[in-house]
Amino acid sequence: MNSNAAIRTEGEARKSVRFGSRRDPRTSLILIVLLTLAVPTYAETNENYQASELKKLSLEQLFEMQVTTVSKKPEKLSETASAIQVITAEDIERSGASSLPEALRLAPNLQVAQVNSHDWAITARGFNAAPLSNNSLADKLLVMIDGRSVYTPLFGGVFWDVQNVLLEDIDHIEVISGPGATLWGDNAINGVINVVTKSARDTQGLYVAGAGGSFLQDFGGLRYGGSVNSNFFFRLYGQRFDREHTDLPNGDSAEDAWDMTQGGFRADYYPSDDNTMTLQGDFYGGDEGTPTVTLVDGQNVLGRWTHVFSYESDLSVQAYYDRTWRNLPGASFSDNLKTYDIDLQHRFPLGERQSIVWGAGYRLMRDEVNNTAALSFAPENRNLQLFNIFLQDEITVIDERLKLTLGSKLEHNDYSGFEVQPSARLAWTPTTRQTVWAAVSRAVRSPARFDADEVTPFITTPQHEFDSEKVIAYELGYRARPFDKLTFSLAGYFNHYYDLRSVDLNAAPPPALVFANDQKANTWGVEVSGNFQATSWWRWRGGYDYLHEDISATSAAVVPGSDTFEAIDPRHQFLIQSMMDLPAHFQFDLVGRYAEALQATALTPRVPSYFTFDARLAWQFKNWELAVVGQNLYDNQHPEFGALQIPRSVYGKVTCRF
Amino acid sequence: MGQVRFAACGAAGLLALALAGSSASEFQNRTARENDLKAVFLFNFTQFVQWPADAFADVSDPFVIGILGDDPFGSTLKEVVAKETVGKHKIVVRHYQDVRDIANCQMLFISPSESLRLNHIFEHLRGRSILSVGETESFLAHGGMIRFLLVGNKLHLQINLETAKAAHLTISSQLLRQAEVLGPAPRKQ
Repeated sequence: MNSNAAIRTEGEARKSVRFGSRRDPRTSLILIVLLTLAVPTYAETNENYQASELKKLSLEQLFEMQVTTVSKKPEKLSETASAIQVITAEDIERSGASSLPEALRLAPNLQVAQVNSHDWAITARGFNAAPLSNNSLADKLLVMIDGRSVYTPLFGGVFWDVQNVLLEDIDHIEVISGPGATLWGDNAINGVINVVTKSARDTQGLYVAGAGGSFLQDFGGLRYGGSVNSNFFFRLYGQRFDREHTDLPNGDSAEDAWDMTQGGFRADYYPSDDNTMTLQGDFYGGDEGTPTVTLVDGQNVLGRWTHVFSYESDLSVQAYYDRTWRNLPGASFSDNLKTYDIDLQHRFPLGERQSIVWGAGYRLMRDEVNNTAALSFAPENRNLQLFNIFLQDEITVIDERLKLTLGSKLEHNDYSGFEVQPSARLAWTPTTRQTVWAAVSRAVRSPARFDADEVTPFITTPQHEFDSEKVIAYELGYRARPFDKLTFSLAGYFNHYYDLRSVDLNAAPPPALVFANDQKANTWGVEVSGNFQATSWWRWRGGYDYLHEDISATSAAVVPGSDTFEAIDPRHQFLIQSMMDLPAHFQFDLVGRYAEALQATALTPRVPSYFTFDARLAWQFKNWELAVVGQNLYDNQHPEFGALQIPRSVYGKVTCRF
Repeated sequence: MGQVRFAACGAAGLLALALAGSSASEFQNRTARENDLKAVFLFNFTQFVQWPADAFADVSDPFVIGILGDDPFGSTLKEVVAKETVGKHKIVVRHYQDVRDIANCQMLFISPSESLRLNHIFEHLRGRSILSVGETESFLAHGGMIRFLLVGNKLHLQINLETAKAAHLTISSQLLRQAEVLGPAPRKQ
């Protein structure tokens, strides 16, 4: 659950794009650059000495100085040709978010809706799909926590209830909307979420936090970071929370209260200046009302080694094991997934103008389900293998002005065989303060067990072999920093999907519903986001999304309403966050958000449009912080996805950092 | 309806602003950005290293801090050395893309972007009184004099005293005391 070394301490980038972590300052710059873009003034406003002040210090004082963020070449911030947003640790802390999905609400380019107390519908650029046991069937995102992929091959989506991180340990979250399959990997058809935790080196000391309130009933978090010597750092953490139930429309309890207990560790070892080794792991267990009790537990461990050859060249190898298990005793369905994964990535320059990144990966997923009358798969147990190899070439066409990035991934999965996912990206940086970019990509969502192995309630037959879903995505973006205190970005896209999943009526008797690839879709939209440091003590950020979706059947066998099984999304949504430092060590923060109505589907009622906001008031004194957070304050309660009512709530929190 | 509600939120924000007063919160546990710190170190080297008289062709020549390859410092280094002098020589910052372009230069920061060309670079620098500063692991082994190194979250210096002496540069003991001094570097033939 924790990774990513000293991203803030030193330049990292393309690598962290994929693996999360690296340490050498001379390696890639993009990430820092992106951080700089997203938080133009964060590193500059509060903690750092200005160079002019440093100059007045003695040699001894300089040698004792603690080093933070490297902002290498901040002028290059806008060169990345994709719609990427970065949520920083500060954004999360100041929002009052108490879980990872709540933190993801802060990404203006994601659609995030709370389904019930423990389940969430999260997607980018649409396709938040029908509920499966409350969880959204959304299956077009690649989600990684420190380089560990967490979407499940059971349905291609994410069980958000078991993706918990000690929020204090998050360094930043990168959210890319649009295909990221070429470099990032499978399932990145509509977007990529990469949660990057701080290195053990950056989390030294003791952190203790406790919270209690009306919806977040209680939370306790504990972390200790220490070092063996100046090259070896570690941390241990544990956290536990209980959350209240949501309500049915008639006011009765939905009986979905839940709790989760989690612990873990991370160790970072720097045997020499150009080698970094990380070992980290987590374990968790919890139970959830659904309303019968669902039990969940899981364990994971990840190792990564990075070697830097030079400023322009490095090699990274990563391997992990992840087990996640859940059952629904009421239905006696259970799923036990064990994932073994190994990845390699190598970057090197080719001549003066080209930078090559290539890599390969292998993943084995052993999935064991326990069939029930309501939901069953054949075979019950299945080993799924995923191979991939990718190559990307970044070509500097005109120095510091024009960059062309060409790449492709070749992947093999057990269902649809070989898949090619190429992309071409062009970034034009006419001045150091603005970039225009354009991209064309093809990406694929390979079949999940839900599509391809299911027998009940949908049948799968050899005549209905489920193929992968494909998209051709066209993107155009503009990013600018018109003056030092303001950054903003615009991204527009047109996506053409084909072989999209459909629910068909089986032609041959007996009548049955089958999954087929008989839908296509055109979607287009606009994403606007900005970050504004109004004064040294007041920062704003926010964004607006417009999304238009047009899904149509390509066969007469498609059941009416099949389109709403795939996509339940708001057309407009809006986010604004305000962060204020007040006198006497007070902070006052607000997050407001609006989502347009969701239409009714065969499985879900209409969800009215809603506006709501969260507020946080905090007071810091030395190592202590007291905070009061109100969430969903505007209404008594409101539904966000489906019928369940998310209540207005308040919690208080005490944090101590030594 | 949504707009109305949003306006209500905006109004709340403005109210909060009015209450906010204008003082910024105090700084705590202050730190430095790595590149700012390095820029200040480069300036300090001008004060803690002695160059031979023949390092300047003319008394009116400026003291040149050169940056070979990508410049990680932005405007910081220029600001740090603005109006500063070494003796009577005004300090200026110059950028080079090719080592062959370097004429009058007393200190050269060799960017990590040049790490694959170090052999070529030091061939051209050999015998000249130029203090070379770098970051990459093999920098000193190739003939570099001072290397920045991040250990934990502090900046360390490694100094190759032999190569500095060979270039007739005298590094003050104040600086040497704080740095890790390495023996003669294994020079590649």
